[in-house]
Amino acid sequence: MSAESASAVHKGQVDLLDFIDWSSVECLNQSTTHSLPNAIKQGYREDDGLHLESDADEQLLLYIPFTQVIKLYSIAVKGPEDEGPKTVKLWSNKEHMGFSNVNDFPPNDVAVLSPENLKGKPVLLKYVKFQNVRSLTIFIEDNQTESEITKVQKIQLYGSTVETTDMKGLKKIEDH
Amino acid sequence: MVLEATMICVDNSEWMRNGDYSPSRFQAQSDAVSLICGAKTQSNPENTVGVLTMAAKGVRVLATPTSDLGKILACMHGLEIGGQMNLAAGIQVAQLALKHRQNKKQQQRIIVFAGSPVKHEKKMLELIGRKLKKNSVALDIVNFGEEDEGKTEKLEALLAAVNNNDSSHMVHVPPGPNALSDVLISTPIFTGDGEGGSGFAAAAAAASAGGVSGYDFGVDPNLDPELALALRVSMEEERARQEAAAKKAAEDASKQEKGGGQHAISQDATMTENKTNDLDDESALLQQALAMSMDDPEVSHDVRDTDMSEAATDDPELALALQMSVADSAKDSASQTDVSKLLADQSFVSSVLASLPGVDPNDSSVKDLLASMQSQSDQKNEEERPNEEEEK
Repeated sequence: MSAESASAVHKGQVDLLDFIDWSSVECLNQSTTHSLPNAIKQGYREDDGLHLESDADEQLLLYIPFTQVIKLYSIAVKGPEDEGPKTVKLWSNKEHMGFSNVNDFPPNDVAVLSPENLKGKPVLLKYVKFQNVRSLTIFIEDNQTESEITKVQKIQLYGSTVETTDMKGLKKIEDH
Repeated sequence: MVLEATMICVDNSEWMRNGDYSPSRFQAQSDAVSLICGAKTQSNPENTVGVLTMAAKGVRVLATPTSDLGKILACMHGLEIGGQMNLAAGIQVAQLALKHRQNKKQQQRIIVFAGSPVKHEKKMLELIGRKLKKNSVALDIVNFGEEDEGKTEKLEALLAAVNNNDSSHMVHVPPGPNALSDVLISTPIFTGDGEGGSGFAAAAAAASAGGVSGYDFGVDPNLDPELALALRVSMEEERARQEAAAKKAAEDASKQEKGGGQHAISQDATMTENKTNDLDDESALLQQALAMSMDDPEVSHDVRDTDMSEAATDDPELALALQMSVADSAKDSASQTDVSKLLADQSFVSSVLASLPGVDPNDSSVKDLLASMQSQSDQKNEEERPNEEEEK
């Protein structure tokens, strides 16, 4: 698994955690006790005790804006085997989507997660579709067992930035 | 101060013709709607409010969410009453209207006035509630009017389905002497989840409660203890002020017709005058000031100048300055100027007292002093009165 994650984190792909604009991050249908920061914030996401949970039904809609333009390479979603997400649709640069218009626009990419993915194996995305991403909308449509609640332990985004911080990416390779 | 877009669903069904809320259910509802709009816009200028009707020919959006209060008040005019309320459709249309709000950063809220029986099934309402919760829309329900069997139960189910972290509320307003709007003022619908009750609501409540002294504030301390406390404190202050003012009125001239309430207050004052305390230096100062003011030509028979009194109260420095200017002109009893009116006004005394350093108008010794002053000057006034009337 580490080899595969290494292949995901190659060519200067970094964890995009630092580029997330936390002030505008939104999540629809999350439960108040188990909210989005549990899944994406540094430290929280490593803690398996904390997870993101859906509220009224099993769908979740996440909106993650970035502080600068990035290219998205892969996404890793970690969750429990039974209540973890299955179908994940991604849109780039679509603001303020709601559950009602998820069917209005075709997603830039769809990922169907296998139990392997739920253990942390990243899913490679259609890189060409995510070349100029200011914000990412993640729609978790259903979960592995059709249960009422979907749980997500960790979401990790890998990619690179478009602007000058390429230097940072290069530095990472040198560390390897 | 939460940035919010609100849609108000108005019930204009046939059941609204009933008069158990004065003047009619529909009028009471309109007043409440106006109040809510005002409160929302005042708590945050960027808030927007929209209105739709649920009955008559069908669900109709009268105003999309806007911060223009005038537009909303205008569209509440000339609404026709009829038909049956369609709660489900109303809420769904409201949700749609909120979805298309201009400022996506606003929180979404729907306020429903449910005055007529609810014809939908509980299941359907729960489904709607869940959908609202999923889209993070809060719902406030005002349950008034018809007390249908099952109506409360259905609305409770709807509220439970929508409620996310106590952001949604339901209020029951039974028919009674209190206006619908007054009852709503003390509820979380107005006070916005108890974020330190909006100034608008508190002001409106205080205005209605503080008008007549000794009035039991129509706010249930159980519902909103903070607001009740604020009302009580403001009433105490008002009472003290009016007592002081009443004494001033009595000394100036009982010719000044104060409202009936004022007479009652002066009666209370006379009762307290039985207690006598020793005068200290502050009291001596007070006495001088009062004597000075009494010497001034107090004319204005035409009293009840509430606006003036409030103006004087609000600006004690103004009153003081005016007093000094009048003192210069002296003995001009015939002048019916605003200045003399201000002076004649009893609240002047309280403002003078307030501006004197180290004097607490609520101090019992001060009150007693004023009472004693009043009793002393009563006879004096009776003498003065025939004189001034001659001059006039």
